[in-house]
Amino acid sequence: MQFLLICLLFITTTSFADDSTKQATDIITEMEKLYRGNASRSTLTMTIQTPNFERHLTMTGESMGQDYGFFRILSPKKDRGIATLKREKEMWNYFPKINKVIKVPPSMMTGSWMGSDFTNDDLLRESELVEAYDLELEETDTQYVIMLTPREDTVTVWGKIEYVVDKKEMLPLSQTFYNERGVKIRVMKFGEITQFEGVRLPSSITVTPLNKQGHSTAIVYDNLDFDPDNISEQTFTLRNLKSRF
Amino acid sequence: MMLFKLAFRNILRQRRRSLLTGLTIVGGFVLCTFTFSLVEGAWGNAVDFYTLDSIGHIQVHWADYERKPKVHKTINDRRLVEQTFSANDDVQAFAPRVYSPALAYAGTKTIPVTVIGVDPDLEAKVSRLKEKTKIGQYYNNAHMRTAMIGAGIAKSLAIDVGDEIALISQGADGSIANDLYPVTAIVGNKSSTDSRVVYLSLTTAQEFLSLGESVHEYVLLVRAPNDNEVVAKALETALHLKIPEITVSPWQVIDETFYRTMQSDKRANRFILGILIFIIFIGVLNTVLMSVLERTREFGVIRAIGSRPSTIVQLIFIETMMLTTLCLLVSIILLVPILAWLVNVGFSLPEPVDLGGMTFSQIRGGVTPLALLAPVAYIYSFTVLVTILPAIRAASVTPKTAMGSH
Amino acid sequence: MLFLKLAWRNLFRNTRRTLLTVMLISCSLAALIITDGTVVGLVEMMENTITRTLTGEGQIHHKNFMDDFDSDLMINNPDSVIDAIKANSDVMAYAPRIMIGGMIASSYNMTGGLIYGVHPERELNVSRIKDALIAGEYLSGTDLQILMGKGMAELLDVTLQDRIVVTVAQIGTGETRQELFRLSGILEFGSREMDERFAFINLATAQRLVATEDGVHQIVVRFHDPALAKNREHSLYKSLTHGDIEAMSWLDFNPSISSVIQISNFVTVILGVVLFFIASLGVINSLFMSIYERIHEFGIAKAVGTTPGNIIQLVMLEALIIAVVSCILGGILGYLSSSWFSVHGLPIGEFEVSGIAIDGSIKTKVLAQQFILFPAYIVLLTLAAALYPALFASRIVPAVALQRSL
Repeated sequence: MQFLLICLLFITTTSFADDSTKQATDIITEMEKLYRGNASRSTLTMTIQTPNFERHLTMTGESMGQDYGFFRILSPKKDRGIATLKREKEMWNYFPKINKVIKVPPSMMTGSWMGSDFTNDDLLRESELVEAYDLELEETDTQYVIMLTPREDTVTVWGKIEYVVDKKEMLPLSQTFYNERGVKIRVMKFGEITQFEGVRLPSSITVTPLNKQGHSTAIVYDNLDFDPDNISEQTFTLRNLKSRF
Repeated sequence: MMLFKLAFRNILRQRRRSLLTGLTIVGGFVLCTFTFSLVEGAWGNAVDFYTLDSIGHIQVHWADYERKPKVHKTINDRRLVEQTFSANDDVQAFAPRVYSPALAYAGTKTIPVTVIGVDPDLEAKVSRLKEKTKIGQYYNNAHMRTAMIGAGIAKSLAIDVGDEIALISQGADGSIANDLYPVTAIVGNKSSTDSRVVYLSLTTAQEFLSLGESVHEYVLLVRAPNDNEVVAKALETALHLKIPEITVSPWQVIDETFYRTMQSDKRANRFILGILIFIIFIGVLNTVLMSVLERTREFGVIRAIGSRPSTIVQLIFIETMMLTTLCLLVSIILLVPILAWLVNVGFSLPEPVDLGGMTFSQIRGGVTPLALLAPVAYIYSFTVLVTILPAIRAASVTPKTAMGSH
Repeated sequence: MLFLKLAWRNLFRNTRRTLLTVMLISCSLAALIITDGTVVGLVEMMENTITRTLTGEGQIHHKNFMDDFDSDLMINNPDSVIDAIKANSDVMAYAPRIMIGGMIASSYNMTGGLIYGVHPERELNVSRIKDALIAGEYLSGTDLQILMGKGMAELLDVTLQDRIVVTVAQIGTGETRQELFRLSGILEFGSREMDERFAFINLATAQRLVATEDGVHQIVVRFHDPALAKNREHSLYKSLTHGDIEAMSWLDFNPSISSVIQISNFVTVILGVVLFFIASLGVINSLFMSIYERIHEFGIAKAVGTTPGNIIQLVMLEALIIAVVSCILGGILGYLSSSWFSVHGLPIGEFEVSGIAIDGSIKTKVLAQQFILFPAYIVLLTLAAALYPALFASRIVPAVALQRSL
């Protein structure tokens, strides 16, 4: 849900006073606070591309704050009903065909989620961007470019992360992940800005690992509803995981 | 011709000496062959034991599947590949397999396992899977949608025959493979190499992993295990004509570690064998030398009545050869029952030894060309070598000195 | 005394034969010494590799830990266990460890692996982690340090100082916890399994990572005398196995290797027995020959009143002298060659056990018992071999004997 968070970081049209680091930090913090406590419901299509196959999944997603998430596959038919529940730091998968709920063991945690280029970890990890990274803001006519450099003790494999934000729309354009030697390893691109329930957001997010030829995962939001009704803590239970829908 | 008659008569005449000399040579032959057979047998046993368990003599994969297994690296044109196997007379049997890492779940526990899809009938001809099925029943048809699990899994998940096991993995098309299978057998024991394996029938595994008809591996047995590397090369050449990406590997490459360990052990044994042969050499040397040198006086007499030195040399040589050949014949008669025992019954280990789920309790000998011919070559060459010097000496010494000696 | 003089002189009457016999017996003794030295050296080297690379001569852990390596099963109060270990005078060194499976990630890739939390100084005495280092530096107790096998480093495409994130599930809660490391060293054990799946961090870091105060999963011990490790009834094992804790010898947690060693041992014992046979054949041969030659003489001796008993004594004394002289010579020869090999190693090329190459080559072991036990056997053997000839000599009927000419 990091990507979801990132999207929402830049929702407001609060203008940036100037390009000092402190400003950038403040804004991100504001955004995070804004996001916390929000609930959302969405339907999306995920397209996974590898040299050996191409997969299209449609899913529903529900979230509450940073700690709770629920995703369910609608198609293809073979995988319909497979669901993932995240509660704080734990994760479960449900397989309707065999009617089993299986807790995701740590050995699978950093593995790919549902076979995509996103990892279970991406979905689980709390954003600690402000506390754990140093921010640097640069500006061009059309873009804000924020460089995030992890502190010495930040638990991450990345050397730096480059956020590019569209100045006019105040929406993210891309995130690029570098290793410590300055080599681009992974790129997340945001596009297709769409109006959802009074909020303008990029509806497509594509992750491309640059070290694996021919791999990419693209998510396109068909619907996105913030503060929907009937989402509560009950939505994020094991019982709900197994329920009919 | 006369020399031959003379030689033969000499042997018979000096019965006791011939007997004693012969005793050592027979002893040398028998013990040498016995030890060679034992060492070759131990080696052959170990290799057989290992290869027939599950690795086979030759394995066939797609590209670098063996080093870097990925579910999508499959052999697709099965008919062509299998035809090539059948066309080669050296291939005794082959069996296809499918592999995938997976999560197994039962009760509340999840453990990582390896799923292997096998064709039950073909598999039984290339490995010991059927024999290792201790509890429950081996597949009796190729399409059963049931699982045979390793003993380690049975213990970790606390399940038994009759329970169900859930498997989660990723299909070759990226889909999430998930299914539930009844357990119909438990294979091997906790220390077997497959204690963390879930076996499914080939078609079931292919369905589970969305593989269609493709497979990851073929395991082959060849008629002459010692020639497996040659056969592998031949198969690779034949297959590369149509499918250049296929890799054919003899077991020595598949499990290089085991091969190198065995080679090391073999070399150490050869060293000890070398010492043994040296002692046999000295024994033969001792005997033959003594018996020739002690007849110096006798040869002196023959020289005195006019025989040429060369005749003496020839005589001694022929005598020794004849004696050795006689000894060889006697040895063969003795060796037949001895080798028969060694190869079929062998030595019992003081305690049966458990290797990867199979119990080893006998060390058996092997009958290989090396084991049978090397001793013969050694003994003959020893006797020849040993005869040369004293023969020359006996021939060149003057009759006077000869007859004066003891 | 008279007999002794006689025996001695008799031997020199046919110096050549005596010398040949002595040569045979002394070489046999030397061969036995070298063979035994080789076998012992070989076994020791194999065992040493198995136990001293990583898994240790003895281990103490939770009694069910070995089943699944379930990281929840710890030794929670290692202090009392460690006190008991220190109190046992046979123990040379010990090292506590954490063992936990988890994911190891770099910016390029991620893989599952086994993470060992080790105490760097203590490990130096029980395992070869430091010796396996091919790049970077050994652990020194600082956080952030991680060592991994060459295979893993290649998989993750990392070089020294790159960021590594380790994810594990904490003890008890099962919550995941991640920590940052920087690759501080790369190891090559030689075994593909170890080089692709193992990583090492400092013990304190590991304990914090898995959320335990001072619990450990295993304590590895090394004994002053490796042979003690193999004694399953050793006081250390017995005293520490109670309640939830289990202490066992490597024979029990590494059973497959000990099986291979047992088999190897057995084969070589057989070879030794064969050696004995050959030597005895040579001795019998030699003694019989000497008696037959002297039948005439024995006949005379008996005719003038020598008792059969005396003759037996005489022959046995001759055999004894030969035996003793041979043992001295053989002992010296054996000592010199075995010592040379114990320093320079056997000429059998590189030796590997389960992928781990032995340091240098196999060295023979020179042991006191080889120079006491084996000569004793040889002397007894020679005397035994001399019995029948001696009896035969004593039973010579003068009348018949005196008729014999050469």
